Amino acid sequence: MKPFEEQFTAWVDGKLTGAELAEFEKQLAEHPEAAAEKGDAQRLGQFLRSHPTTPKLTNPDFFNHQLMQRIAAETPRIAEKTGHSFWSLPRLLWAGAFSMVIAFALFRTTIPTVAPVVSDSKYFAQVVEAWPSDPSISATTVYSAENNVTVVWLDGLDYIPATYALN
Amino acid sequence: MDVPSKTMPTEAPDTATGPDDFDLVARSQAGDTAAFNELVTRYRTRAFSMIYNMVRNEQDAWDLAQDGFVKAWKNIGRFRGQSSFYTWLYRILMNVTIDSLRRKQIQSGTEFDDQIGLRNIAPGAMTAPKEELQPAEKISDGEIRTRIDAAIAKLSPEHRAAIVMREIDGLEYSEIAEQMDCSIGTVMSRLFYARKKLQALLKDVYETI
Repeated sequence: MKPFEEQFTAWVDGKLTGAELAEFEKQLAEHPEAAAEKGDAQRLGQFLRSHPTTPKLTNPDFFNHQLMQRIAAETPRIAEKTGHSFWSLPRLLWAGAFSMVIAFALFRTTIPTVAPVVSDSKYFAQVVEAWPSDPSISATTVYSAENNVTVVWLDGLDYIPATYALN
Repeated sequence: MDVPSKTMPTEAPDTATGPDDFDLVARSQAGDTAAFNELVTRYRTRAFSMIYNMVRNEQDAWDLAQDGFVKAWKNIGRFRGQSSFYTWLYRILMNVTIDSLRRKQIQSGTEFDDQIGLRNIAPGAMTAPKEELQPAEKISDGEIRTRIDAAIAKLSPEHRAAIVMREIDGLEYSEIAEQMDCSIGTVMSRLFYARKKLQALLKDVYETI
């Protein structure tokens, strides 16, 4: 069963019907002042409705202006979207991918490829301290790790005496 | 609640000349502030009035209406169109207002007890005016407004909301319950005590005009 307060409110507002209304009105037989109280509550409602005390919203355009400024300040990224920029996220992604393809194609077509120097040697050095009899003779060394051998290369030498031959 | 409201406004009066609310909401959800601005223009007066009826102060009503619309903008993505835009907005505005009144209540240390002075009133007993009766012709509109403001200011935020929604905005119990996120029984109980208190505070006014 509903508390008295709820039933009384429903009764004032005309929301009690049928058996509920009959039962409640039977309860109220002990309270003859209840009818006056109901009328009083209804007069209060009419009084509040007939005396709107709300002042007019002054300067309504400024209301919007101030609000839009707050919205722009508090949600700057969302506000920027309102400009409907051409550079949406999907377009930016496509533009990025297209640029990379163009850059790769240019690289392949304009930069000449140089064949790598074929050398099985990790060490190639010119012998700086050499005392040849002829200044036009120069010496370099090549070391092959795979064969574990060092080759001394002499340029400008016409011949090597047999006694100087390396073993 | 999916059932369209009978009493809550579902459409602004001037929507016939422009895009309907749902179009504007959809554009707002896509980030179009111009569309949201149009919604604000449609509902700013109603929002301001509703909040003013709760807080009884123009500056506070202005600020809270702004807060409510900013909150609506931030949450516009959550609006699913299950009710009218105004029903959805109304709830936001009401929550912002009630929260503000509660904060003020805590800051000022004021404790609303709507049953103070009513505990000894027998159910159905006549309410007695507290203030001296004045002849009808002496009560100006300004004074009536002051008296109503003062009386409503003495109600707790929840009771204010219930009486404003029922008596001024004309909402049904179920709609008030939905807006306040409480049961219909709670709404009826709040209305009972709010009315009792207002009757005690305003009877001399409404019985003499």
